[in-house]
Amino acid sequence: MLAYQIRIAWSSLRRTPVLSALLVAGIALGVAVATTFVTTFHVLAADPIPGKSDRLFYVQVDNWSPERPWDRDRPQEPPDQLAWREVQGLLASEIPTRQAGMFKANLTVHPRGQAERPFRALTRVTNADFFEMFDVPFLYGGPWDSVAEADRAPVVVLDEATNRRLFGGEDGVGETVRIEDRDFTVVGVLAPWTPRPKFFDVTNGALEEPEALYVPLGLTPDMELSSAGNRSNWKPFDGEDYADFLESESVWLQMWVELPTEEQRQAYEDFLAAYVREQQALGRLTRPVNNRLRDVREWLTVEEVVPPEARSMLIIGLLFLLVCSINLIGILLGKFLGRAPEVGVRRALGASRGAVFGQHLVECEVVGLLGGAVGIALSAVVLRVLNRLFTEDVELFALDLTMLGAGVALALVAGLIAGLYPAWRICRVAPATYLKQQ
Amino acid sequence: MELGPVFRAVMYQKGRFWLVALEVAITLAIVVNCVNLALDLRAKYSRPSGLAEEELLVVRVEPFAPELAEEAYRDAVRERDLERLRSLPGVHDAVAISAVPLSGGGSATGRRPRGTEDEPSTTPYFIVGSGALATLGVELVAGRDFTEAELTTPDEDYEGQPTPAIVSVAFAEKVFGEADPVGRVMESSTGESSEFVVGVIDRMQNSWPDNEDNAELSVLMPGTPGDDRRGYYLVRAEPGAVDAVFLSLDEAILAVEPGRIVEVETLVDVKRDTFSANHALVKILSGIIALLVFVTGLGIVGLTSFSVTQRRRQIGTRRALGATRAAIVRYFLVENWLIIGLGLVVGVGLTYGLNYALAEVAAAPKLGWELLAFGAALLWLAGLGAALWPALRAARVAPVVATRTV
Repeated sequence: MLAYQIRIAWSSLRRTPVLSALLVAGIALGVAVATTFVTTFHVLAADPIPGKSDRLFYVQVDNWSPERPWDRDRPQEPPDQLAWREVQGLLASEIPTRQAGMFKANLTVHPRGQAERPFRALTRVTNADFFEMFDVPFLYGGPWDSVAEADRAPVVVLDEATNRRLFGGEDGVGETVRIEDRDFTVVGVLAPWTPRPKFFDVTNGALEEPEALYVPLGLTPDMELSSAGNRSNWKPFDGEDYADFLESESVWLQMWVELPTEEQRQAYEDFLAAYVREQQALGRLTRPVNNRLRDVREWLTVEEVVPPEARSMLIIGLLFLLVCSINLIGILLGKFLGRAPEVGVRRALGASRGAVFGQHLVECEVVGLLGGAVGIALSAVVLRVLNRLFTEDVELFALDLTMLGAGVALALVAGLIAGLYPAWRICRVAPATYLKQQ
Repeated sequence: MELGPVFRAVMYQKGRFWLVALEVAITLAIVVNCVNLALDLRAKYSRPSGLAEEELLVVRVEPFAPELAEEAYRDAVRERDLERLRSLPGVHDAVAISAVPLSGGGSATGRRPRGTEDEPSTTPYFIVGSGALATLGVELVAGRDFTEAELTTPDEDYEGQPTPAIVSVAFAEKVFGEADPVGRVMESSTGESSEFVVGVIDRMQNSWPDNEDNAELSVLMPGTPGDDRRGYYLVRAEPGAVDAVFLSLDEAILAVEPGRIVEVETLVDVKRDTFSANHALVKILSGIIALLVFVTGLGIVGLTSFSVTQRRRQIGTRRALGATRAAIVRYFLVENWLIIGLGLVVGVGLTYGLNYALAEVAAAPKLGWELLAFGAALLWLAGLGAALWPALRAARVAPVVATRTV
């Protein structure tokens, strides 16, 4: 039955090619705009690490000034990053299955050939657990081992692009590369990996690319590394000494823990509270205990990773599709009513109202699907333009299977909105009128 | 005017009538809200920075040679860099600075007038060497520039006494109110750091020009900016020489000391990067507005054409009974005018509704009635324009049509 209706619909559309093209173009335009903004929203609001996002927790401890909160507009919020002392203290816990303190640094890499000048590379300074905790894929080698971690060994994991730059894409594992003032041994090379949003460090840009290099957090004091990202401070520290800086209340690190069970989570919360009380006894952390343990999605929400503009555009995009659909109601009405005599004859020959209604609705949905196909293709083009407009990252916004499905669904809904009223009108045509006239 | 008959004819075809009205209403809501968003975004990046934007070049220097870890050597290199930069042909002046205005990256602290319990104000600051005012292109409106002695005295020598500072007008008003800020002292909430104001400059945007309230709060403090990780110079070129100077900077810096990574950018590019999302959104919104007006226009053309086709016999009859072509055109325009008018009335409600929704979920700016009035007028004209072609077509219907059966 459906196949028959589709065939009829097709021949009906072919009878008025210009009008049909106009209908398809109308739906296509609406679907293109709506799909584009549904996709941008979908990408920005996506779960960056599905399946694990509810057991990875971002750790916050309030070390801010006794006189004022970290954020005056949200006084109940602790600072969004941690001080070095906190990370050192918290890493001592054995409760988490995995844990990693981390920050972003900008380090000088000296390529071996004299011809090439040194360059700066963004580096994540972190613990070995980082890679397994965040399911980071490796092309060659793997994370540094616990011996290297304990010995603060100069070992490095490269991303794929840096490996290509330094070693021409050959397996760089085991090679040495000079970073800052010492030689590092390459232990691993990452496969291409772009978590979106970059959830583990949203403070320094949720849409940034992951870093090019990864080195052990333990090297920080030896190499006197500092953050290339945000650093906030409420209390000046004495002296210019790097050791003083590490001891200060400056917040510049992030910390994640993996707590798969509810018991672990509870235990870790207790541990955090005990840690703060212990520090308070030492005269630090003078604010009331205000710790946070937030899973990935909660943290992304608190940090407002989805820009408000993305929400606005989503609403506007959907309304745009609605206007396009309403637009087609008028055209379809004209087209269908122009066919009233023919329908009158069909009705007189025994076609039920339902059959006529169904037939015309199918025709609208055929238009919807054709328009949807064109619209989705158009949207893919528009998304590429958006990528160029917004970021250097050429693949940030792209259609995936879910979005293809969403595009088709939008097209069907648009077809329905456009077709419902005209199909209803035409199925109520009284056969007698037309029989008399002809 | 034949308002009566037009109105009755419209009521005879309620469906079509409501369709156009609804479409016009939603279009008005979207268009006005998009324009509102776009204007708000544009206002942010079109505010004047107070800087000689077009003439400024940014040099970022990242030392890697081990000798540059020595502060004394770095200081010496900085002096030689500046000497070199200022001697380049086409360079007006240059300054070493701790952060780049308009770049999105910088430092801020909190200050309040000494002796008060005020909530400390956000205080974005720049550490600058000599030549800051001339290089930045900001105008001194009260007090004086830093003296040579102030620029070379290390902070330690002040032994806790207030250090000198130059503040922007906006900052002075925020912290000191109406009072003359020159000579006043401001301090951090702990009182450990304090500055006395020696001069006031006119407008100067800080590192965060996209911030609605704080963009013009700027404080300059004398010192030796830059550390063993990175340092910045701002170079102001003579108006016609920007491109030539741009090309010469990299080499000039490396000639002084090669153990550094050097990057040169124009301040115009820096600002564009900071606002890239705003620029992109304005383009997208403009595109949507244009498309939507086009689509709605097409819809009106389509529906009016349809109604003309349906009424060919009536038109013919009217013509046969003596109606002029102008009367026919007028009839369809008036009909359209009524329908669009109704759509606009409904649209006003929808527009405010959408604005409210956008403000709720996305902190969109409130809508002014002027914009709504302007949008409505524009849409009304566009609607009339769209109806013109079908109406003219209607006028070409010959009276003889009336005499034919279908």
